Amino acid sequence: MDFDAPLDFENEDKLVNQPVVNKKRKKVIGLDDLLTDHYKQKSKLIEKEKKRAKASKNYNSDEDESGKEALLSNIVNNCQNQMQDISGEEEIPDWGLQVFGNQKTPPPLDFPQLGSCKLLRSFLNNEVNSLVELTAENGETFLEGLLINGWLSKLVITRGHVEKSIATWTFNLILYSSQEELMASACDFWCAILSYKNKVDALPTKIDWFPSYSELNRALSIYGFSANFSTTAESVNTNSGYREPQNLIGWIKFTAACCQARSKKSILLTKEAEELVEILTCIFLDRRFLALSVLLSECIQSVINYFTDQEWNTSCQKIAKSLACRVPRDLNCLRTVDCIAGVNNRTKHLRSAVAYQILVVCFNNEATREEEILNLLININVKDRNCDLFKMYIYLVLTENWLLAYPNLEEKPVLNEMWGVFLRNCSCQISSTDMRPFASKVRNKASFLLQSPANK
Amino acid sequence: MEKTNHKRSNRTGIEENILAILESTEAKDTRDTNDDRIAFIEAVRAASFIPENGTAPTYKMHEAVFHILRVGKSLELIMSSYQLLIELNKHFPRVHVSKSSSTDSHELIIFNEDWSPFVLSSETVCSERQAAGGNSIGPLDYSGFTLLIQELYEVVNGTNFQAIDTKYLRNMLLLQYLVNVLEGDLLPRKIVYEETSNWNLLRESLLNMLLGSRRINYKVLMKDCLSCFSGLYQVHAGINNDHGCSENYVTKPSEDCYPALAFALLDAEKSTCVAIQKLLTMIMELDTSKKNADMLGHTTRADGVRTPLMEIIVDALNYERDIVSPFLQVFSEPKWKLEIIVQYFSKYITKVRTRRSNGPIDDATFDGILKYFSKSINLKNFLKKISTDIVQLLLAHAFQAHLSISSQYIEGDVDSKENVGNSSLVQICKDIICTFKSLSAIDENIEILPMAKEALFAAATILAMSNS
Repeated sequence: MDFDAPLDFENEDKLVNQPVVNKKRKKVIGLDDLLTDHYKQKSKLIEKEKKRAKASKNYNSDEDESGKEALLSNIVNNCQNQMQDISGEEEIPDWGLQVFGNQKTPPPLDFPQLGSCKLLRSFLNNEVNSLVELTAENGETFLEGLLINGWLSKLVITRGHVEKSIATWTFNLILYSSQEELMASACDFWCAILSYKNKVDALPTKIDWFPSYSELNRALSIYGFSANFSTTAESVNTNSGYREPQNLIGWIKFTAACCQARSKKSILLTKEAEELVEILTCIFLDRRFLALSVLLSECIQSVINYFTDQEWNTSCQKIAKSLACRVPRDLNCLRTVDCIAGVNNRTKHLRSAVAYQILVVCFNNEATREEEILNLLININVKDRNCDLFKMYIYLVLTENWLLAYPNLEEKPVLNEMWGVFLRNCSCQISSTDMRPFASKVRNKASFLLQSPANK
Repeated sequence: MEKTNHKRSNRTGIEENILAILESTEAKDTRDTNDDRIAFIEAVRAASFIPENGTAPTYKMHEAVFHILRVGKSLELIMSSYQLLIELNKHFPRVHVSKSSSTDSHELIIFNEDWSPFVLSSETVCSERQAAGGNSIGPLDYSGFTLLIQELYEVVNGTNFQAIDTKYLRNMLLLQYLVNVLEGDLLPRKIVYEETSNWNLLRESLLNMLLGSRRINYKVLMKDCLSCFSGLYQVHAGINNDHGCSENYVTKPSEDCYPALAFALLDAEKSTCVAIQKLLTMIMELDTSKKNADMLGHTTRADGVRTPLMEIIVDALNYERDIVSPFLQVFSEPKWKLEIIVQYFSKYITKVRTRRSNGPIDDATFDGILKYFSKSINLKNFLKKISTDIVQLLLAHAFQAHLSISSQYIEGDVDSKENVGNSSLVQICKDIICTFKSLSAIDENIEILPMAKEALFAAATILAMSNS
């Protein structure tokens, strides 16, 4: 039989639990048991009676009842305040940055050359035009109809040719159109023509114009993206006229489709793709785009897959180093690590690298080797009252992510050993009564990690 | 791929450890609860994917993640639990196909003990669970699925205004996830079924059990799905103005996640349409397989009788003319779209023909229908039954579907030819133009709809291209 065959733990659990219950039920109840139960209950009743009598006595003898009550509540309040002071549990701000700020005016969506594109022009003299009534003037409106109703992609694929004017027009609609429907249809159009050649290689669609990275980048800055984002979520400028950049959805989808179609045309340089991964990761840090996390995650994976194997090893390190310098070293840096999905080898690799590089930056680049970092961590005295346990928590989670996806960790027993020491420091040297902020979080996290099978 | 080496043993230690994170969590939605839930999701993710030998989460862990999706109030929780569930479904499918190297045939591998969002195994269990007052926050049962669709429909058609909040988003994501699960369960079964013709494999599919349950009203469920489908499109395109999304959000008390929520809905409505379309096509494909199994005598009385979804759709389009346009607009899968339109046409053609038999037609294909209409008298009679506008829409959409199919399967996929008939694309283009010409000849005041103009433009352009 297959020894690795899955065991049914759920059933086993039930089997383990059930008999206990049954045993209790089936146990023969003897007279002795009944008698002891009876006495127990009786004594309880007597006890209760006593207590009640005592309480009522006190109550009756109390003359200045309300005054004492006020005094009592004062004392309680004071106690509470003191407790709070002692524990110093100030709210650590949650993650969240303002990655998008001041928006610029989008370029005008003006395409005078569109009406004279070959696709329309060649039709004007067609006898069927008596039914269609297409003129040079209503050309753009007609094209919009073709786009929204899904004809355009089918037509250009059948013709095997995308003219420059149509390519630029649709691309600009994705980035800047304020009409949701046009934006979405233009995005579908590009996704269709970009993914088309994957299906049939017999009829390559000729695309006369491809957007460049600088255009994607320009759109981001128009949406208000700034590489030097403000570090506090509080500074969200609520100035009038700020509109959520809805076209960002199209931007993300388009970018993903471009990267998936590298075989056709690589529109990104390696350096640009590196920058894209950083930008996308940063968008994850803005809570206003939380809802895009699935889209963003898919897009990051497409960009990461865009690299060749050769490029990836160096690019991964570059991305990690650059991200580490960008993100603030609070809960945001943990969010940064979390948002790298880690579902395949490359994203695992990146997750580990980013966590490591943030650690390096946390220690002001004092340590350059992996063992040195762990050494610094081990030497932190968590018993010291001045030890910042919030920082400790950040280090702990970062180290976890760094080592969890570390390729072939078992080949580096020293790292593994030191990690174990670090974890034991955190879990054993912080007592469960430690009231310092984050004490329990650090302790719990460390003991959780100690118990997980990876560390056994 | 990690798919084949499922590691499902040695998981209890992890389970206890990870579930402990949630222990302090109560029903309240405080920040601590939220933090714990996020920490839990991250821990499940870390244990499942990150180590080289990642293990599928246990039943309880999986269930807890699903629970978070169903009760989570914050956008962060909803999104991250949804994302994790989708990824888990992809990496640790409950059903998958393994190719045996020796015989070159496929084998179905089912992890029956794995968690599934549906409890469909035994109907009595469901009723017992409900009788015991168990709340609905476990896996979904039959009625849970119906309820989900109904709730969505209520929001979409505007009877339940207040519901546009995180719950609306959550329901849409939940539906997307469930369709994802149904698909992941059905597709591998279908691959093996096509090799072995073993109907049992499909009979035991989640989708078939769901549809065959006596606890749901299948027809009502399908009609609700259709209404949701067309309604979502109208909401999305802002056609249904008494229920314009943006206006509604403004009147809503702004929550902390308000802009993010508005943002989320933009894309969620569209992807929900895609999910419903997937559900509908899966059901129609299942219907076809069932019909084949019927003919081979593989089905039993226990399989029951179910009206094919195609008939329900054709009827719905027939009786509710309002949904014809949105339905055709949003349903984009070309093969089934063409089939639906062809069925719609032939239903009427049969009616017309029984009265005045106008010669034999090959009405089960698109080119057959176009040939039938090439006789002006046939078209004229037909227009007595259906309005010109609807005929225009049907023809234009059928042509578009045909165009998609012919560009997708240039290499001559036999399967795709079945509704297309034998005519070439050029011939179809000619026939389409002819039909519209005779339409305008019959009715001089005809107003050609934009969609039809675009179809004519496309047909004429393709013709010109082939002549040059």
